Amino acid sequence: MSEGDKRSSAGVVGIETAPSRVGENPERRVLRALAESFPKTVSEGTQLRPGVMRAKVDRSDLYSVCRTLREDLGFEHLTMISAVDYDDRFEIIYHIASYQSRLLIELISTTPKDDPVVDSVSSIWGGANWQERESYDLMGIEFKSHPKLERILLPKDVLYHPLRKDFRG
Amino acid sequence: MAEMWINMGPQHPMTHGLWNLRVKVDGETIVDAEPEVGYLHRGIEKLCEARTYPQIIPIADRLCYGSSLTWSHLYCLTVEDLMDIEVPERAEYIRVMAIEMQRIASHLMWLAAYAGDLGLAVGFTYTMRDREVFVDLLQALTGSRLTYNYPRIGGVAHDLPPDFERDTVRAVQYMEMRLKEYEDLFDGSKIFMMRNVGIGILRKEDGINLGVTGPSLRASGVDYDLRKDMPYSVYPEMDFEVVKHEDGDCYARYRVRMDEMWESCRIIRQALQKMPTGRWRVVAPRNAPVGTGLGRVEDPRGEAVMYAVGDGTDRPYRLKIRSPIFVTVSAAPKILVGYKLADVVAIMGGLDMCIGENDR
Repeated sequence: MSEGDKRSSAGVVGIETAPSRVGENPERRVLRALAESFPKTVSEGTQLRPGVMRAKVDRSDLYSVCRTLREDLGFEHLTMISAVDYDDRFEIIYHIASYQSRLLIELISTTPKDDPVVDSVSSIWGGANWQERESYDLMGIEFKSHPKLERILLPKDVLYHPLRKDFRG
Repeated sequence: MAEMWINMGPQHPMTHGLWNLRVKVDGETIVDAEPEVGYLHRGIEKLCEARTYPQIIPIADRLCYGSSLTWSHLYCLTVEDLMDIEVPERAEYIRVMAIEMQRIASHLMWLAAYAGDLGLAVGFTYTMRDREVFVDLLQALTGSRLTYNYPRIGGVAHDLPPDFERDTVRAVQYMEMRLKEYEDLFDGSKIFMMRNVGIGILRKEDGINLGVTGPSLRASGVDYDLRKDMPYSVYPEMDFEVVKHEDGDCYARYRVRMDEMWESCRIIRQALQKMPTGRWRVVAPRNAPVGTGLGRVEDPRGEAVMYAVGDGTDRPYRLKIRSPIFVTVSAAPKILVGYKLADVVAIMGGLDMCIGENDR
């Protein structure tokens, strides 16, 4: 893995699947590569500000989208996993960064209220392990095939998930 | 020899806070490790959902006692992104100057604790004495010594106090003199070098995969600093170098933090020189719009991120906090395995643990 000293976002390394088009910036190139690989499940790709973009992904394809990001598009650093409890759905938000192209993508996946299950990405990024345990602990999101899905911040015998909106202390 | 589990913590001089490191040893060699955290969990993310936006600034200070200013600054950045507020330029320069002072104070506190861990009592007293210089400056600027409550949504609480520029230049000169002395003191100590060089090696690939950030990752040879690579505030105007080191051992992590203090001194000088006159605060709306805001800064301990969800009221619907140490400590088993039990203190000390932000 060569780092290079390129600090400008012009030289995106690792995007072999998406040759650049004239006048296309790196953010749009990543979004297009994702949309072309997963036409049915990745939607609403937008650029929020320079270097930051957002896309929605269906939870059925979350694992393969993450693997494509990690292996083909060079997004090697999982920054943060957040879970938000909305009235009608749970949103699980992945912020994934690239050390090569210095980009950040915000990947949003939703689950229904009565079935908060998504695939674990801890086999792609080791750093996801504890963050998924935290989301399970505080929000009650289940991560399928996680190596050790246990509570991490709260004691093991606690019966509730305190960050849910229906939780009353 | 029979293997056994040893609890290092929750009460142990190595922990610097309240957490437990379970290590499995075979004789003196570590074969497995498992950090246990959560003893200091205060439910800050839930607490914030019941507070108005300005009320959360002092709570954000309490995330980390070692570098509270960077956390309240990050919180304000996040809410400004959510509310789409343009901060006056003078406020940005004051913030950058203050958070670099905080970075030096934080690194000095780490160095003091680290020296104490490794039996170098002189290092502890010297660094704590010189940290006082920057704590005094921050006290003159903000009014308090540890939890500052200084940034505001849309600027900072008040302008610089009288003679602050003069005192800052003096403090930076003093610090640069002292940094040379520290390098003699620490690098010249045979015991310090023996306990550091070649101990706790974190390979670059492991560091990246496990989500380690900040000085610990730069010590493994990754050239990534959010101040340079996804610049916020007025960091693009500043001339400084990203410090990195190739070795990935405890000595490299020490070296990176020492060199970062030199760079922070440079940034403080430049911020003072380039600081424009004008307003230092704009009025922020009471309610946030429906939407999300993201703040991502280089904390002294790594990459700190906040994600705020607004719902049109004066309270955040959700505020997610990414603590750099929470992810870094999950990589501890990878670093520890294969070394001796006596190296645990050096390895974990070198990661700069802060349990306040870890457990939230």
